[in-house]
Order: sequence, then structure tokens, then C-alpha cells
Amino acid sequence: MAGLKSPTLYFFLLNLISLLPLLAFSFSPDHPTDRRILVLLDDLSLKSSHSLFFSSLQSRGFDLDFKLANDPAVAVKRYGEYLYDGLILFSPSIERFGGSLDMGGVLDFVDSGHDLILAADSNASDLIRNIAAECGVDFDEDPSAVVIDHTSYAVSETEGEHTLIAADDFIQSDVILGSKKIEAPVLFEGIAHSMNPGNSLVLKVLSASSSSYSANPTSKLSSPPSLSGTAISLVSVVQARNNARIMISGSLEMFGNRLFRSGVQKSGSLHKYEKSGNEQFITELSKWIFHERGHLKAVHVKHNKVGETEEPPIYRINDDLEFSVEVFEWSGSSWVPYVANDVQVQFYMMSPYVLKTLSTNQKGLYHTSFKVPDVYGVFQFKVEYQRLGYTSISLAKQIPVRPFRHNEYERFITTAFPYYGASFSTMAGFFIFSIIYLYNK
Amino acid sequence: MGRSATTKDAQALFHSLRSAYAATPNNLKIIDLYIVFAVVTAVIQVVYMAIVGSFPFNSFLSGVLSCVGTAVLAVSLRIQVNKENKEFKDLPPERAFADFVLCNLVLHLVIMNFLG
Repeated sequence: MAGLKSPTLYFFLLNLISLLPLLAFSFSPDHPTDRRILVLLDDLSLKSSHSLFFSSLQSRGFDLDFKLANDPAVAVKRYGEYLYDGLILFSPSIERFGGSLDMGGVLDFVDSGHDLILAADSNASDLIRNIAAECGVDFDEDPSAVVIDHTSYAVSETEGEHTLIAADDFIQSDVILGSKKIEAPVLFEGIAHSMNPGNSLVLKVLSASSSSYSANPTSKLSSPPSLSGTAISLVSVVQARNNARIMISGSLEMFGNRLFRSGVQKSGSLHKYEKSGNEQFITELSKWIFHERGHLKAVHVKHNKVGETEEPPIYRINDDLEFSVEVFEWSGSSWVPYVANDVQVQFYMMSPYVLKTLSTNQKGLYHTSFKVPDVYGVFQFKVEYQRLGYTSISLAKQIPVRPFRHNEYERFITTAFPYYGASFSTMAGFFIFSIIYLYNK
Repeated sequence: MGRSATTKDAQALFHSLRSAYAATPNNLKIIDLYIVFAVVTAVIQVVYMAIVGSFPFNSFLSGVLSCVGTAVLAVSLRIQVNKENKEFKDLPPERAFADFVLCNLVLHLVIMNFLG
């Protein structure tokens, strides 16, 4: 009996070992959505006051690890490997992180392609401000300033200083904010930030209205505020060149249950919404930040001469060739074909000799055909695709192009036919002349 | 008066040339016709090149060389065969014709190679 059982047990255990790779299921190029997220909090009560946000993340499959920001066990990296795929900093007042994390560590985390959500509020520390500045977003330098808007505030029973504002100036992007329009304004209470307009990587997702300004609500203004109007951004995102996504918000309250559940009425409008747009806004934006949407990959770059199937190692000038590439978009759980009509390919050597818009078969395959230009050298097939809200595609495939071999030129040149004719006619003339001359009586 | 005299002189010159030419032997006249044909072909090619441009220049040179070469060889044949020419009195005309044929063969070999 024992003799029979142990082999079966043995095989059973062996099978279990084959399941071990599944335990390492996390961020990978085949599965771009983040899995493990470190959440650093100032105060553990944030876990309950922001429970709607956290539970929506957890219900989407994220593995949240809550820690106090000054916990000495805080670490994102161990033995050179990152332990988390995303970082949420809900610790605006922290001066120094506990453990081995510091500003350089957070920036390295982002530089290695991981995502970040950073929320500040009116008591934001220098550390948080500096991290935001390194990401391209500048908070108002005045530490006591908050965003005030006297025409776009949220109507409430108490006449406050109009620091709780109802904002509805969203960025126009279905990829970032989802295809469903956010009807209700978003409630915001916090500090203002701005960005350099020359920076193409930073986007204003939620701007303040043109009547807003950033100032201390309790003191009288002696000079015009430095940040005002639509230059103030309330929520910005940064998509880095390595496709890491960063969200920076001037309000931590915006993520909280109180503002999620609250109704909103914008001053000056009679319409009162039962529920603010905060939950929809934050949920859709977090989907974009953690790569559940808008993540593209381009695979299977293929080129061949028209009529052949193999990829040749070299082309000749004036050859006809076909090029195809497949582009997929991550839907949160699987790769679906990406459909667009503006993907272009360049045949590039120092400058694009050929630039063609690829036509699609609606199933993710983009193809075109063109003639190799009359220039020889080393070219590249380049696909550069940068669209608002999508990860950038940057593909380059090198291919040399050779000139004609000496026996590939056209054999007879049409403009030289008269010369050919003249030479043959003199030969015929010689022949006829010699006959006539010899046989002339 | 002077004008009509010069025209009369020109006409008289032309007539004398024609009558003198009529006296040349037939074989020389055949050679002369051959030379005229070669020169006309060369002129046609030069005019064509002036219109179209000299793109396959080697073909142009080859065509013109074939015409000019045959003209030159025909002229030398005429010199050698002409009975009034004291210099070649002892040269058999068959020998002159054989030289002519050989030189033409070499000429045509060259132009076929250079034609491209």
C-alpha cells in the first residue's frame, strides 16, 4: 500500500512545482497593467476615509500594500529588483520617507517605467513639492496658498472662502478619461500647480477656470497672485518617454469618500447633481495611470518584395516592397487590435524619403507598399506614433539598399536607337557597296 | 554688269565641274556616292544629338565614328584606285580593295564594342 501511494504523491508534488511560475505573475511586457502597488499614507485613517478609492482599485485586481510614509520598513527595491509596479503617495506632509526610500528613489522608480500617483494638499512638504517639480509640475511656492475661485465654487450651506471648487474643464481625451462623459463637475480642495507650456510630456487633465487664483484665503492680497486663471492646473498627468505614467493632484481630499459621495452644485448654475464627478473621474484616470487603457504595442514588423514572402537582407533601388506591422492595445485583460487611420511608416535615411500612411484591415494589421527610392544607402523602416494618451510607439528596422548591378541596367537605351541604326546602316552600306563595286561592269 | 558677270562665271564654273565629273570612271562615282551616304548619316546623328542631348555619349561617338570611319576608308580606297593618281600607279586595285575590306572589318568590330 505504501509502495503504491508514494509514487502518486511524488508526482502530485511535482505537478504543484510546475504551478510556481504563476506566483511570479506581475507586471511584464505581455501584461502591462500594474499588479502590486505601494500606498504610502500620512495617517492610517486615510485607509478608511478614502476606502471607496482603495476598494475600487482592489476590486480591479490590484494588490495594495498600505504603509505609513515614515515606516522604517518602507522600501521599493530589494537586491536591485523592484517590489512594486506602482506607487501611490498620499502623504503630502511627509518630510522624509522612512526606510530606504527618498526622492532619488522615487524618481528612479519612475525612470524604470513604473507609475506614480502623487497627491498634495495645503500642507504639502518640500519633499513632495520637489518630487513634483522633478516630474515637470510646479506647485505654487507660497506654502499657504490654496486655489480660490469665486465664480466656480461648489455651493454649500456654509459660506466658506470658496476654496472648495467645482471644476469641469477636462482634457478632451477618451483614452485618458474614458468614453463616458463626466457629467457632474469634480470637487477639488487644495493647492494649485502649473507646468511649463514647452513641456510636451505633461498634460493638464483638470484645469481651473479662468476666474480662479492661488492665494492665502485668510490674508489680504497685496499684489496680484502669481498663479491665476487657466494656467492653474488642478490635476495633471505626465507620460514619460519610457511610458511611465504619473498623476499629480493638488488635492488629497478629491480622492476621499466625502467628496466622492457628495452632491455638487456649481455656483452660478441651477443644476444640482446628486453625485459629484469625482468617483468617475478618479476611477477612469487611475485606469489610465495603471496602464489598463491606452497602452499600445507594435509587433511583427514584416517587409518583403512584392510577390515574395521572405524578408530579403538587402533591397535594390526601384524595387517594389510591402511593409506590415501589427498594433495591439491592452484592454485591461487582453490585447485587442488597435484601429486607427493615422499610423505612418517612414523609409528613413537622415530624412524620410518615403512617408506613407498605413492602411488597416481593422484587425490590428497595418500594411502598405511603395517603391524603394532611387537612392542607395542604409535605410530604416521607422514607425513613430505618439498620440495624446497613448504610449508611444518607436520602431526602427534597418535595411540596406544597393544600386543596380552592371547587368541590371536596361539593355538597350531608347534614346540611342538612332545611333544603333546608323552603325548597322553603315555596315549594310559597306556590304552593298562592296558587292556593287566588285560586280560593276 | 559685274553681278551678272559673277553669276555667269559661277554658272560657267558649275557647268565645267559637272562636265568634268561626268568624265570620271563609274567605279569612282560609286565610291563618291558611298562617301556622301556616310557623311549624310553622320550629319543626321549630330543634329539628333543637338536636339536630344548627349545622354548615351558612347553610343553617339560609336555611331558618328562608324560614319566618319567608313568615309575615311572609302576616300583612301578612291585615292588608291584612281588611275590618274601617279603615286599609286603600281598598286593593284585588288590589293587596295582587300585593304579596304580588312580595315572596315576592324572598324565595325570597334564600333560594335563601343556601342554599348
